[in-house]
Amino acid sequence: MMTCQEVSTLMSTGDLPRASLTCRLGVGFHLAMCRHCRAFRRQLEAIGRAARALSATFDAEPPTAFEADMIQRLLR
Amino acid sequence: MAHLGERVLARLRRRDPDALREIVDEHARPLYRAARGMGFTIDEAEDLTQDVFVTFIESLERFEGRAQIGTWLFGILHHKAQERWRSRARDELNDPIDTAFAAQFDTRGKWIRPPTMPDRAVSAREAREAIRDCLEGLPPLQREVFQLRQVEDRSAADVGNVLAQTVTHIGVLLHRARMRLRACLEGKGWTNSS
Repeated sequence: MMTCQEVSTLMSTGDLPRASLTCRLGVGFHLAMCRHCRAFRRQLEAIGRAARALSATFDAEPPTAFEADMIQRLLR
Repeated sequence: MAHLGERVLARLRRRDPDALREIVDEHARPLYRAARGMGFTIDEAEDLTQDVFVTFIESLERFEGRAQIGTWLFGILHHKAQERWRSRARDELNDPIDTAFAAQFDTRGKWIRPPTMPDRAVSAREAREAIRDCLEGLPPLQREVFQLRQVEDRSAADVGNVLAQTVTHIGVLLHRARMRLRACLEGKGWTNSS
């Protein structure tokens, strides 16, 4: 069975989708058995959600004419 | 993600306003958002976005259209950001966060201090403020990788092309960024592993 360190590292590096089928199955099996690694995965998800929510506030910052103004400046 | 066809490329080289509008409309806001996510101020992010398009237009003669346009534009953004960061963007080979992470496991690879579920009572606004503070503590390259991978949802291969890094190293940088953020958020009592 894979260790918590191996599983959490694979999840954190984002390498899991590119890992072999055997490896992905091993991670799935480990997660089914280990609540600590499931908690770790939830933490990563929460970090991602908060970062995307912060980023969404940046989207609202530029005025509606942002793109149009930029094109005007580029065409000068 | 779109590749630029020869015809579009030819129109852009002629400064065709419609072709330019298409590119700007699709990419200006993601570039601005990424610049803000990397820690630049509102004014700096606007300037950077403008700079990216100026450089893009100037470099159209060298652009063969085979690369994905988003990759090309984010690559320019990366170089512009590095110019502004200068030496701050140095990538550390030995990052203390790796040791801190390894120290959370025993010799059999089991958690010594098991993580607990994130606190659901934390409001969305508190979470945004907490992550904003914690992002400030990331080294620039880790912050950039985190922004492009986690927020912009770009693939590891694409981010590797943008930053001229191997896919493996992109994974290492994302891991370090996430573990730094996790440690910082633990300090704020938002996620904890006590």
